[in-house]
Amino acid sequence: MNAQRVGLIGLIAVLALLPLALSDFWTFIAIEILAFALYAISFNLLMGYGGMLSFGHAAFFGVGAYAGGLLAKSAGVGSMWGFALVMPMAMAVAALFAAAIGFFSVRRSGIYFAMLTFAFQMLLYTVALKAIGLTGGDDGLTGLRPPGALAAPGPYYYFALAWVLPAIYVIHRLVRSPFGLTLRAMRNNPLRVEYSGVDVRNHQLITFVIAGAFAGLAGALFAFSSGNVFPGWLNWTASATPIVMAVLGGVQSFLGPALGAAVYVILEVTISGSTEYWHLFMGLVILLLVLMMPRGLAGLIDRKRP
Amino acid sequence: MSRTDDILTVESVARRFGGVQALGGVSLEVRRGEFHAIIGPNGAGKSTFFNTLTGLVSPDAGRIVFEGRDLSGIAPHQRVRLGIGRTFQITRIFPDLTLLENVQVALLAHDRASLAPWRDASKHKPTDARELLERVGLSGPSGQLAAALAHGDRKRLELAITLAGKPRLLLLDEPTAGMGAQERLESIRMVHKVAAELGLSCLFTEHDMAVVFSVASRISVLVQGKLLITGQPEAVRASEQVQRVYLGEAVIEQGVG
Repeated sequence: MNAQRVGLIGLIAVLALLPLALSDFWTFIAIEILAFALYAISFNLLMGYGGMLSFGHAAFFGVGAYAGGLLAKSAGVGSMWGFALVMPMAMAVAALFAAAIGFFSVRRSGIYFAMLTFAFQMLLYTVALKAIGLTGGDDGLTGLRPPGALAAPGPYYYFALAWVLPAIYVIHRLVRSPFGLTLRAMRNNPLRVEYSGVDVRNHQLITFVIAGAFAGLAGALFAFSSGNVFPGWLNWTASATPIVMAVLGGVQSFLGPALGAAVYVILEVTISGSTEYWHLFMGLVILLLVLMMPRGLAGLIDRKRP
Repeated sequence: MSRTDDILTVESVARRFGGVQALGGVSLEVRRGEFHAIIGPNGAGKSTFFNTLTGLVSPDAGRIVFEGRDLSGIAPHQRVRLGIGRTFQITRIFPDLTLLENVQVALLAHDRASLAPWRDASKHKPTDARELLERVGLSGPSGQLAAALAHGDRKRLELAITLAGKPRLLLLDEPTAGMGAQERLESIRMVHKVAAELGLSCLFTEHDMAVVFSVASRISVLVQGKLLITGQPEAVRASEQVQRVYLGEAVIEQGVG
């Protein structure tokens, strides 16, 4: 058994035992970290692996959250199994939106791709704001609660963990698979990949849909932890969050963005608790980290990879 | 015009960019197994011609037929799947991948396995990939990152990537660009040898006349978007028209320099 595997098993053990050591408040924060870790990793599939910088990834986090909330509310989900079904359905809705938005966005690359994803996200933001009958408009969806025992932070933490860990494992398999190798090659040189016989646009579209689906899962998981969904989740400022998390943690490392998510959320909670200018401090901390560690926090741990 | 021993037939291909007629009706054939050079002064339309063959640029008029099949409307990646491989003037490789992975990307594409989402990519035909690397003369450690390669070795790697697609027609755009005089000859002889071993037909553009005359079985001369002459090296060398074009260019270059 190599060191990496021991580390991984240790990490999973810590994650499994965590709620026993944490207060309800910090368990709530841990759930947020799980959701955002998945969100940041799904984003990094696009940016770190595919070289596709999306400025609109929050669209899928938000769509997943709204879809999950609306599905649970309209179906009046009371059982745990019924609630568990909400998650894949929210993923599917997010995937559908990603397919529609990706269809147009992957036709362009670089900054034009970024602007297209940005524009579509603002479109969805406006819909979330104005379609009051469906989304509750400014007030958002409120009173979202998982059924029965899951409503407590501890059990809901395990529910979230049971979704996030397999999801991250699936993405991990994906990046090491032929699909992932081809994706990494596309980041380096899309034209060379095309002239190896690959339909590059199609490959990018599939990547976009997968990333969108997992962002949707993250959004739905977080929605039932926070109890609300707001239009702001779809706003363009929300799309900066996974970018910052990924860069903070390290885009060259698979788990880097998850580490970035953990640090980001913990910083946010601790700094915002002590000053109302927490955005300023957050900005300074991120600035320092990025300047001093261009490969992110993960670069400190794993020095082998260039 | 099309003969059975032609692998590629180009019929009156034309292309205009704005007010510039980049190609004014070019027709030529690439015979099976030949090593066919396209030469011509800068701006003669060589790159545009190449790009129409590979599908990067669509011609305004004319037809391109590969192994009896009209390529109109066929996307670049589909042309590769039909058996047309290409390299680029500015070398295109995957610097963040290992040498082995560079070739595996193309092997996966050829095996239509690029979308496989679950299995380990590193286990895809590593022996075939290593064989291709050795064939082009990259016998060093195949686990090193391609970013570490020197310019000439990058060209070799790109050739290995291209060969992984098992092409029958090889299109090489300036295969010796950026190399020193001695390296150019060694490099083109290596390509020539590999193409001969694999029975490939090859069409390449080249600036260096020493390189062209050392390996080409036929030469086409492109000037201002038109084909001046196609023929055996001796015939092209003896052509007064060609001499005028190249002498003219030489005089201009000296005048500028």
